[in-house]
Amino acid sequence: MSKLSPSREPHSGVLANAGTWSGPALAALGLLATATVGLLPAAGQSTLTWWILSSALAPERVLPLVGIGIASALVDFRYCLAALVLFGSGITIGFIAHDWLLSALETIPQATNQHFLIGPISSVAVGLALVLPGTRLRSWLLLFAAAVTGSLLAVSIKVTDPNLDDATIPLAGVFVGIWIVVSILLTARAFRRGWFLIPARIFGSWLIAIGMLYGGISLVPKHNPPLLSRATSTPNVMPLPEFDRLSPDFGGSQDGPVPEIPNENPRGFQQP
Amino acid sequence: MNGSDLAARTIGLGAAAAAVCLGLFFCMLSRSAAAHIISTGSGGFGSGFAHPLTGPDHFLAMFAVGLWGAQIGGRAVWTLPVTFPLIMVAGGAMGILGLPLPGTEIGIALSILALGLAITFAWHAAEWMALSLIAVFAICHGYAHGAELPLAADPADYVIGFVLATGLIHLFGIGVGLGLGKPFGGRLACGLGALIGIGGIYYLVQALSIS
Repeated sequence: MSKLSPSREPHSGVLANAGTWSGPALAALGLLATATVGLLPAAGQSTLTWWILSSALAPERVLPLVGIGIASALVDFRYCLAALVLFGSGITIGFIAHDWLLSALETIPQATNQHFLIGPISSVAVGLALVLPGTRLRSWLLLFAAAVTGSLLAVSIKVTDPNLDDATIPLAGVFVGIWIVVSILLTARAFRRGWFLIPARIFGSWLIAIGMLYGGISLVPKHNPPLLSRATSTPNVMPLPEFDRLSPDFGGSQDGPVPEIPNENPRGFQQP
Repeated sequence: MNGSDLAARTIGLGAAAAAVCLGLFFCMLSRSAAAHIISTGSGGFGSGFAHPLTGPDHFLAMFAVGLWGAQIGGRAVWTLPVTFPLIMVAGGAMGILGLPLPGTEIGIALSILALGLAITFAWHAAEWMALSLIAVFAICHGYAHGAELPLAADPADYVIGFVLATGLIHLFGIGVGLGLGKPFGGRLACGLGALIGIGGIYYLVQALSIS
């Protein structure tokens, strides 16, 4: 046995290294593939490339998935595995029952104007799993958040899919979603440290804030914003030309009655 | 310098560096987003992300929150930066709804001044007191953001951008705070607090002269 040990040690070391670096390698490969696809001129004209860059990798879609990856890295292996299974089951259920889910989401006022509030709901669910204290509570909330995020991911893919009978875009959407969760999970588990919970909780609070504000904007009817003086920094809010008259304290200088701002177009339907 | 001090400094400087790198990454992402997602142009993710970074008043306040949390230490390292965006939502909702909140600019200026003074004098406030102060300031900052949101071309992406940038500034503050906590007895962090306080006085004078 003692003669076998030296030959096994380097082998197990290589396996351990492979385990440690599989997450970053997966992330790097995916980023490289995305960059290549995005930079190729021919690929730029493809519907699939356009959809991946504009919809599958939109911040509102990516952030909850990153949160699921981080939260899964914080819990026991059993819960982590269960979360992945529920995430996958959620995706399957979302594809099967997307009509029912959409009709349920449609009952929320103004939800159709903001992509059926898929982003806000996912963000708040995942954010709670990251922020709330207690390992057991976090583990159970993660299971719930994984199922919700998975099913809403499938719904968002169906809603933004420009091809009705082609399975390429749904497959690509699922692949991108799983890639984000798994690469973050493997990286975070491999390099997990005691202080890791601090940035994870902070990230969770961002997700909740994003979800609440994003959802709030969607649910609240448009109004004339209150007047703030120029002392508050507002350097980068640039109203569109047709909205110039709406904002006397934010760059406009018109007198007279202020009309209502019309609703924006539903998100996720832009053409390449 | 013992091992734990060195570890704290390393973690702090590492966190600060990571926050800067993430900031640069999101700056690149914001350009990509402007090109591919926000076809309406400005007022989307890029504008939201750049807003706290280019507005010195917001930047100073967010940076000070992280710095003060790191200076207090313990749970405050994360409770302060976690509380700030959550309470900011309440202020943001008030702004979105158009509810009046007089003295917002003065509140923002006072937040910079108060946080600067707290850091300068290394005030290790009780957690509930620190969180209460942060909550009041967060409502002022959230209100200013919320009032601007309806004007953005793409409010949803604008929200995502500015919350991410705000959080990264918090992380940057925590990193700098942990990194500067030990050398020279923490006087460097106190010095930064004094500079933040001077910034607060400048904004307070501006706000008072306008009001």
